[in-house]
Amino acid sequence: MAEWLALAAFAVLLVLPLGIGPYPVRLATVIFMWAALAGAWNLLAGYAGSVDLGPVVHYGVGAFATAAFMLKAQLPFLVSVVLGGAVAMVIAYALGTPTLRLRGAYFAIGTLALAESAKEVALAWDRFVPFPLTGGSAGVSLPLATGYVLFYYVMLAVMAGVTGAALSLQRSKFGYGLRAVGENDRLAEASGVNIHRLRRRLYVGSAFAIAVTGGTAGYWLSYINAAEMFSTAMTFQMVVMALLGGLGTPFGPVLGAMFLTLASEYLGTRFVYYYLIFIGAIIVALSLFAPAGLSGLVQLARRRRIEGAT
Amino acid sequence: MSVLEVRGVTKRFGSLVALNDVNFTLTENEILGIIGPNGAGKSTLFNVIAGLDTPSTGDVVYRGRSIAGLRPDAVCRLGIAKTFQIPQLFPRLSVAENVLVAALYGHGASLPDAERQAHEWLAFVGLDGKAGLAAETLSVAERRRADLARVLATGAPLILLDENMAGLNQTEVEAAVALLRKVRERGRTLVVTEHIMLAILGLADRVVVLNYGEKIAEGRPADVMRDATVVKAYLGDAHG
Repeated sequence: MAEWLALAAFAVLLVLPLGIGPYPVRLATVIFMWAALAGAWNLLAGYAGSVDLGPVVHYGVGAFATAAFMLKAQLPFLVSVVLGGAVAMVIAYALGTPTLRLRGAYFAIGTLALAESAKEVALAWDRFVPFPLTGGSAGVSLPLATGYVLFYYVMLAVMAGVTGAALSLQRSKFGYGLRAVGENDRLAEASGVNIHRLRRRLYVGSAFAIAVTGGTAGYWLSYINAAEMFSTAMTFQMVVMALLGGLGTPFGPVLGAMFLTLASEYLGTRFVYYYLIFIGAIIVALSLFAPAGLSGLVQLARRRRIEGAT
Repeated sequence: MSVLEVRGVTKRFGSLVALNDVNFTLTENEILGIIGPNGAGKSTLFNVIAGLDTPSTGDVVYRGRSIAGLRPDAVCRLGIAKTFQIPQLFPRLSVAENVLVAALYGHGASLPDAERQAHEWLAFVGLDGKAGLAAETLSVAERRRADLARVLATGAPLILLDENMAGLNQTEVEAAVALLRKVRERGRTLVVTEHIMLAILGLADRVVVLNYGEKIAEGRPADVMRDATVVKAYLGDAHG
C-alpha cells in the first residue's frame, strides 16, 4: 500500500517542475537532499544497528572530489559526481574495515572522531600536499550552474535510490542478515552471518549515496569549504530527521526531512529570530509523544481506523 | 571416523586456567554428554569449539581440518552450530525469521528455500503455531526450542547444546530428551552439556566429566556415575 502510494508520488514528482515556479522546486530539492542523507544514515542505524556519527566524511569527500573532477579534469558534472561517489566508496571501505569492528557506543564515538579528523585533514590538506584540493579555510569555488532543475532531478534520484534500497531490505537475504546483526550481532555471527562484511557492504553503499548528495550540493551552492562540508551540525540534522520520521522504516526519513524542512521554512519566515526555539520544542514534543516517529503515528492512525471499522 | 578431535586444549583467562589439556574425540552420529560442576569449564570448551574463544594452546580439528582461531560465522558455515546457555533471540524478528536467518546464512539457502526450511524446523520442535509472533514473546521453554530450531536450520551436522534443558520442568525435560533423540535420527552428531543427570543418563552414549578445567573421567554414563573421582567432584569427600 505505502509502496504504491510512494510510486504514485514519485511519478508526480517527476513532472512537478514543469508546472511550478523556481521557489517550490528549490524547496523540494532541499527536502530531497535531506531525505537522501537521513535515508542513507537510516540504512546503517535503523537496519544494521550501527549509529554512525560521521556520515559527513562521505558528504565532504563527495563534495571535494566532485569539485576536483570538474575543475581539474574538466569533466562534466554528472560524470564527476559519480566518480566522486566512487572515491567516497573506496575511502569508506578503508575507514569502515577497522571502525565497523567497534561495537555500540564505541562505534558512534569512533565515527564522530573520524568526522572531526577528516575536517582537520581537509583544512590542512593544501598546506601539506602538493596536489591542492580543498582550498584550506578559504574553500573552493565551482562554476555557476545554469538552471536549478538539474539539482532537483539528481536529488530526487538519490532519495528514490536510498528509499528503494531500504524497501529492498524488508524482504531480502541481505536485509534479514542486517536486521539480525542489528538485533543481536553475536547470535547473528553464531548463525553463520559474516557480520563485518555485511556491515561494510552497507556502509560503503550508503557512503556512495551521501557522497553524491554532497557533490551535488557543492555544485548547487557553487562554493564549498571544509568547515561546512564536514560539520557535525549536518550529522545531527540527519539523525534528528531519521528519528523524527521513524528509525528503521523505509519512508520515515522522507517524512522527517519533509516535516522539518517545511517547519523550518514556515517558522523561519514568520519568526526570523526565534524560530529555532519552536523547532526545538516540536522535536522534544514529538520524541516524547511519538517515540516511534511520524511513521509510527501513521501506523497507529491506520490501526485505529481498522479497529474502528470492525 | 572421528568428526571432531579436541587435542590438548588449554584456555587461560589471565591466571585462571579454565581448561587444562583437555582431549577427546567425537564419532559420527553419537551423542556425547559433557558434565561437571559449575565452573568446570563446560561453556568455555563449547566457546573454544564454536570459535567464540581461541584456545591458549592445543587444537580443535573438525573432519581433519584445524578450526581453532576461526571466527564463529566461519565455524558455523563449516558445520558446527551451538545454542547458548542463556537462550538468545533476535527479539523483534518473528520466530520464523529467527530460524530463517540461520537457514539463509548457515548454509547459504535461497530465500524461498530458507522460508520452507524455517517452517519445517519450527514444526519439528513444535513451535509452528508461534511462527508469526515476535520472538521476544516466547516463554523460556519455547525460547530453548526456538534456539534448537535455529541451530538445526544452519544445516550444521555437529550441534553443541549448552544446557538446553536448564529451567525446564520434568515433563518438558522428557519432551526435550525425546526431541534430541529425533535430532540424532536425522543424522546429526550432538554434544550436550547438562546439569540434569537423569537427562544425560537417558540420552548420552558416552560422557566426558570436567572438573576445574580438567577431564577427570570418560566412558559410558552408568560407569562414569559410579566412578569415585566423579562422585567426589560432585559431592565432596564426606558423602559416606
